[in-house]
Order: sequence, then structure tokens, then C-alpha cells
Amino acid sequence: MSTYVYGITARSHADLPEELAGVGEPPLPVRVLTEGELAAVVSDAPENLRPKRKELLAHQNVLAEVGADGCVLPMRFGSVAPDDKAVTGVLAERAEHYQERLRALDGKVEYNVKATHVEEAVLHQVMAESPELRALAEANRQAGGGTYEQRLQLGEMVAAAVKAREAQDAAQVQQALEPLAAAVSVGPESTGWLANVSFLVARDRAAEFASAMDDLRKENPHLDLRLNGPLPPYSFVEPGPAQPAGTAGE
Amino acid sequence: MTVVPAQQTGGGGGSSGLYDVLELVLDRGLVIDAFVRVSLVGIEILKIDVRVVVASVDTYLRFAEACNRLDLEAGPRKAPGLPDLVGEITESGARGKSKGALSGAAETISGAFKQAREEGETESRPRPRKSTSTRRKEEQE
Repeated sequence: MSTYVYGITARSHADLPEELAGVGEPPLPVRVLTEGELAAVVSDAPENLRPKRKELLAHQNVLAEVGADGCVLPMRFGSVAPDDKAVTGVLAERAEHYQERLRALDGKVEYNVKATHVEEAVLHQVMAESPELRALAEANRQAGGGTYEQRLQLGEMVAAAVKAREAQDAAQVQQALEPLAAAVSVGPESTGWLANVSFLVARDRAAEFASAMDDLRKENPHLDLRLNGPLPPYSFVEPGPAQPAGTAGE
Repeated sequence: MTVVPAQQTGGGGGSSGLYDVLELVLDRGLVIDAFVRVSLVGIEILKIDVRVVVASVDTYLRFAEACNRLDLEAGPRKAPGLPDLVGEITESGARGKSKGALSGAAETISGAFKQAREEGETESRPRPRKSTSTRRKEEQE
């Protein structure tokens, strides 16, 4: 029977809530494997495990429960070991590394911030900043919308201006929150956000971080800012920049 | 347009926040090379670069149209200083029928994911990407 691994934590933190439900249908019971000072939170691996919503949530929920009052190194979704022995073997082999990571991340959680533009508001901004764009838009309006080429020209210029704002706003979001974080990890750019940044924040600075987010929202009504957290420190389990997406399991 | 459940930012533990933290659960976190990973076939669609959508003729035309409609007298925000409402305005703005180029693009991906998980839970074929305008039309029906 292969073993699904949720995360690695200190043995002293490995008290699980009772009947914690893991991945699988019906959900498989979550258990703990210990080795030295370390513990792995695992369950049996269901056959034909797929990245369904329900399974992703189960993985996320187990980590949220275990990480609620202690540090856990979250595994990437879908990590399966051949058996329990292989898991404890890895814990023994890399004990020093995992203990160092657990110490480094102790008392810290991840907050992920994603930003998009509120379209109408950002259009107002780029128009307000550019007499040229305003003139073009006005000319088109008076011509009943303008020809296809005129509309294309205006649209392309507006798109370029919006794109420039995206970069500017992304930098601003990061700069505003960075001072409150112990570490920063910029997420992949390609998922539809102008900014997608994870911050490693000490639990006792969480309120400060939330209030900085509020200020950022007030100052930037043209940004839709989404805050997710506290999360297990997915983006900070390894020192240095996190591995880019899509490099594992291929 | 059918009712779309509001997406809330939350602790990440609830289902509502899942989409927002999806790439963290799937692409970050500890990897141990002695372990295998389940195949993620079927959700590569998440990695589509929506910026490509933004730089399309379709988008240029919609930007131009949006600028024609824009009431420049009104200022960037008619009611500034109401941060509590920002979320709501954005929510309805992004999901209403006046969906704009940017939010439309994001929604294409969001919709694609939803589609992938609803229809393709056990399927694994890549899905052809629909243009935003096609999606808008479908959603209004």
C-alpha cells in the first residue's frame, strides 16, 4: 500500500485532531509517522488519485489543521511514497535539513496577495494621464465610434498603457507589503494577475500585515486586491527562490 | 446570466478560496524526489497565459469601445473612500454583463478551471481555448 504524504512537522507538534479526513473517496484517515525528532503527516494513498477539487481541498485542510498551532512543511499536492518505510527513511536521511527548515519557518505563515485592475477605474487613469489618448477617444466618439482601424489604434494604445500600469502597480503592491514580511516569493506571472506575490509573515505581525493591505486598498481603488492566508508556507519550504511551476512529475 | 457563487478571499481552507491558492497547492510546497507525484494531466489549462488574450485584436476593440463609453467627467471612482464596497463593486463588475477586457480574461481561466473540474474531473483531454467574447455570449444566455 503506497503512502500519501501531506507534510512534515516536528514530532512534538504532531498531535492530530481526531478523525482528520484525508484524500480519497471515502476520505482516508490521516495518521502520523515518526522518525527521530520529525513526523510525517500521511494517509494511505487512494488508487487513481486525481487532482480533483475535493482532493485538493482535503490536502489543504489537513495542512491547515496540522499547521494551526505549529509549523508544518507542506508537501506539494500529490506526493506519494511507495510505503511508510520509504517516508521514515527520507525523514531519517534528511533530518537535519527538515529541522533547519522547521526552525526557519517557525511562527511564520504565508499570505498570498493577488491583484487585478478594476477595468473602468484603470481606464479612467490611463485616459486622465494621456492627452493623446483622450484626443483619440474623443475623435472616435464624434465619428460615431470611428472606423475599424481607428478603434484598433485606440484600443492598442490603451492596452499598452494599461500594461505599463500593471507593472507599476505590481511593484507598488510588493513594495508596500515587503517591509512586513520575513521573505517574499513572486508567483508565476502567467495566471491572470498583475501581481501574484506570497509573503512569509510572522504570526505576531499578521494584524499589521492585514492593516497594510487595508491601506493599500484604500489608496488604490483601481486595484482589486485579494488576500489569502494564513497558509502553510508553500512558497518558502526551500531556501532561495521556489521552483517554477511544472518542473516536477514530468 | 446564471448566478455565480461569490468567490471570497478566506483562510484558504474553504472551498471558496481554493482557486486563489490553487497554484500554491499544485506548484509550490515540498518535493521529495524519492516520491512520485500523481499526474496532473487535465489541469494544464491553468497555465495558459492570459496576457496573450489581453494583447489581441478582440481586446483592442473592446478597450476602444469601453473608452467610448467612459464618462470622463465622473472621475476614476464616483465614491472614493468606501473601501468596504470595493470588493462588492469589483465582484459585480467582474461578473456582470459589463465584463471588461481584463476581468474577462481572468474569468476565462477561472471558467476554464471550473469547467475542467466539473466536466473533466476524470477526463484529461486538453480543451480548446474559447475567445472571451464567445464565453461572454454563452454566459449571457
